[in-house]
Amino acid sequence: MLFFRDEEQVGAWCAENRFPRRPLVTLDQLWSLSVAWYSTRLTPDARRPGPEEIRSIFAGIGLEGPFWDPQADAF
Amino acid sequence: MRRVDFDLQVRGAVYRHFADHARAPSLRELSQVTGVSPSDVKAAYERLYARRMLVLMPDGETIRMAPPFSGIPTQHVVRAEGREYFANCAWDAFGIPAALHTEGEVISRCEQTHAPLRLRLGATGPPPSSWRFHVVVPASQWWADIVFT
Repeated sequence: MLFFRDEEQVGAWCAENRFPRRPLVTLDQLWSLSVAWYSTRLTPDARRPGPEEIRSIFAGIGLEGPFWDPQADAF
Repeated sequence: MRRVDFDLQVRGAVYRHFADHARAPSLRELSQVTGVSPSDVKAAYERLYARRMLVLMPDGETIRMAPPFSGIPTQHVVRAEGREYFANCAWDAFGIPAALHTEGEVISRCEQTHAPLRLRLGATGPPPSSWRFHVVVPASQWWADIVFT
């Protein structure tokens, strides 16, 4: 899970390292994801979200499809 | 105390230590905080790892990850609350200010060009930016090797 200066650098890095290019996430989306995922992490009853909750969090910021599905076996 | 409650107490103490000191607690420090033996704390670590709440080093007692916090130095640094935290990945670099409910500065780099990233995260998130976040591994496989995603 890495930062890139822009979309062009993502493509260049994936090509050089022979990784598939995956869906890109903007920093606004990443911030929304981080707040949804981690804002309660320091509370006594904090827990890791379950699969349905994970799908809902991802879908809420526009990350949908098999790649973001925590239980997908094809993507 | 039920075992699950004890484990949650240990996890809470781990996270509190990371938040307050910007580093992982030692087994001895957690033993002192929780009032139980180091071996009991270590056993709780193992159960928390099994529940994907902590990631341990091979010695079974050093905390590698308590997401979003990293127990070892990484390329993702977050300055917040007068401290300097290490994050496990780009996502967790944003996750630390989110978890601490505070503003922060994220210091990282572009993985392709190694151009530096210095980003101020305010209460409403980052400023407009061309930077992007990219994940290679599909979500269903993250825990196959949580260090490489």
